[in-house]
Amino acid sequence: MKILVPTKRVPDTDQKIRLRDDRRGIDIEHLPFVINPFDAIALEEAIRIGEQQDSVEVLAVGIGTELYETELRTALAMGADRALLVEVPDYSDAHAGLDSWNVACLLREIAHREEPDLILMGKQAVDDDASQAAQFLAALLNWPQATFASTIEIQPEGARVARETDSGIETIQIGLPAVISTDLRLNEPRYASLPSILKSRKKPIERISLADLDVPLEPRIKILNMEAVSAHRSCQFADNVEQLVEFLERDREQEEE
Amino acid sequence: MAEASRQTADVIVIGGGVAGLSTAMQLARRGASVIVVERDRLGNGSSGRAAGLLGQLRGTTAATRMLMDGVDIVKELEQQADVDIFVQTGSLRVAATAERAQEITDLVEMGKSIDFEIDHLDNRQVAEFLPYMKTDDLLDACYCPTDGHLQPAELVSAYIKVGRSKGVEYRTDSPCQGLVIEAGKVTGVKTAEGTLYAPAIVNAGGPWSYLLAEMAEATLPTAALGHVYLTTRPDENNPVDRLSPAIRDRHLRLYARPESGGLIVGMYGEETVEHDMETLPDDFDMSALKARPDNLHLAMLIDAAEKRFPWINPRTPMTVTVGIMTFTPDGKPFCGIMPDVEGLYHCSGFSGHGIVQSPAIGVIMADLVLEGTTSYDIEAIEADRYFEMPGFQQRSDIKDRCYQMQAAYYGTVEGGSESTDES
Repeated sequence: MKILVPTKRVPDTDQKIRLRDDRRGIDIEHLPFVINPFDAIALEEAIRIGEQQDSVEVLAVGIGTELYETELRTALAMGADRALLVEVPDYSDAHAGLDSWNVACLLREIAHREEPDLILMGKQAVDDDASQAAQFLAALLNWPQATFASTIEIQPEGARVARETDSGIETIQIGLPAVISTDLRLNEPRYASLPSILKSRKKPIERISLADLDVPLEPRIKILNMEAVSAHRSCQFADNVEQLVEFLERDREQEEE
Repeated sequence: MAEASRQTADVIVIGGGVAGLSTAMQLARRGASVIVVERDRLGNGSSGRAAGLLGQLRGTTAATRMLMDGVDIVKELEQQADVDIFVQTGSLRVAATAERAQEITDLVEMGKSIDFEIDHLDNRQVAEFLPYMKTDDLLDACYCPTDGHLQPAELVSAYIKVGRSKGVEYRTDSPCQGLVIEAGKVTGVKTAEGTLYAPAIVNAGGPWSYLLAEMAEATLPTAALGHVYLTTRPDENNPVDRLSPAIRDRHLRLYARPESGGLIVGMYGEETVEHDMETLPDDFDMSALKARPDNLHLAMLIDAAEKRFPWINPRTPMTVTVGIMTFTPDGKPFCGIMPDVEGLYHCSGFSGHGIVQSPAIGVIMADLVLEGTTSYDIEAIEADRYFEMPGFQQRSDIKDRCYQMQAAYYGTVEGGSESTDES
């Protein structure tokens, strides 16, 4: 069984995020990047499936510049068997970047070449929160999809997936190959073991260029402007319940204004 | 605008970690007016990420006295602030090699010579004490029932609570932007809200303290080194009682203590990360430091932890804490003034022991600032002990020496003569 895990390199959202002067992106100076946490959950799940079954190959894929190598190295250290970097130019100044549609188009081409039995990916990236790439990809491949997975059980005839929906947990059965997007409660990603880190340093990172893939990028989204969320938070101690109600009413009035 | 709010105090303390907060509280207790200026939030630097292990028996009687007095100060603080700070779990040191066993024999002998409660413990007793620890390879162990740990957050809040009641003024989000120096004497601290003037300024800037010293053209030989520890989440198969003893295994370079039903395990490894504080952004927040899943130092820690606590592995549910320690070339802090710079009192470089040293250090600093002298034996921690000493003046030399000190901290095997203090 081959499992393809697309991973996105995103800013660590626990850090202070500043906007660029042109307000069409964020200032990445000093900003640490990580594997998108939902993708790390997908990676962990793929590695666990590999630990439970024989002959599973986990292939981590990144789309980006050579900066991406760090995150793919992390994926190898965590236990991915292979890592593939799809080399694309730096889009951070193009105000469009790689939107979900183009990511899905690139991944379709990778899927055609690699022929995985399963694509496991995060339900969304924590930078743009689009939550579209997995769904686009399943549609482009014409594969079944199971989004927001909180448990995944690989069976001889397919996969049984519990999905987290607003109205409760929905359990579905899908055939393979399929695209499954992973939710927060699926697992807790591991730290890499010392031997695994040392071993991963010797593993190659495979590369493929945009020209090799022959997928034209046609951005469908243009970023016009970004605004920071107001950092202003005030704290006031209420002496009694009456005063608390007074505070709440005042805040509501201010919000309505 | 800057001069509109000209303000004066008897003492201005730069840095709202445990060193600065303890000093401010002790100064205010003796009637001094004190302003604490903190670049971020109080207790949010190294103090906010500390494990707080208290091992009172040290290489010297001066250091041991300081820690034992610290416990008395903390017990008094607990009353005044109505918080629990000291958790008396006892502490256990274990040895799986012959040379480490000899260290334990020496330590027990030394402790007994000063009537400190300490004794050997055989393997059976250790195994009963700590069912979650591997013990079958141990050659010896010793136990100090009066040791334990200080809860850092509670200690910080007690310092603030008592300090505030004595009139200390705390200014947070207020980085020191420069020092006012008049005729070789530091007389003020520049902040965004204006300049504050005082005849005595305390540099309790932790990892930033060497930069504060540089503002007065003084060289403070400290370096900011990374440290990482893990906290396992409660595990019903390996319950950790909140009063089970702290553990030190110097061969594996590990320390451990109970925390909220889980276990804190940290390591003073051979390698660590060096931070150049001047290159960090102005709004750097230590609480946002993180370890990547493939962080090598964390992997080395987990690898060592597994050898002593076999149920811990890279998949164990855990929280990882990453912080910065301020190391010095000898692992001892710098307390007091330096020649040529009047008015500036340094209080920094606790090399991983700021929490437990802070109670007595506050008293010592208040003594030095208000009286110019102290009844404590502070020879080993005087700020000027490397003054103009060749090899301790350039940043690169200082960093090398501090780095080596960190690496040697648990690494060096102690033999006979006075050597590295251990916590």
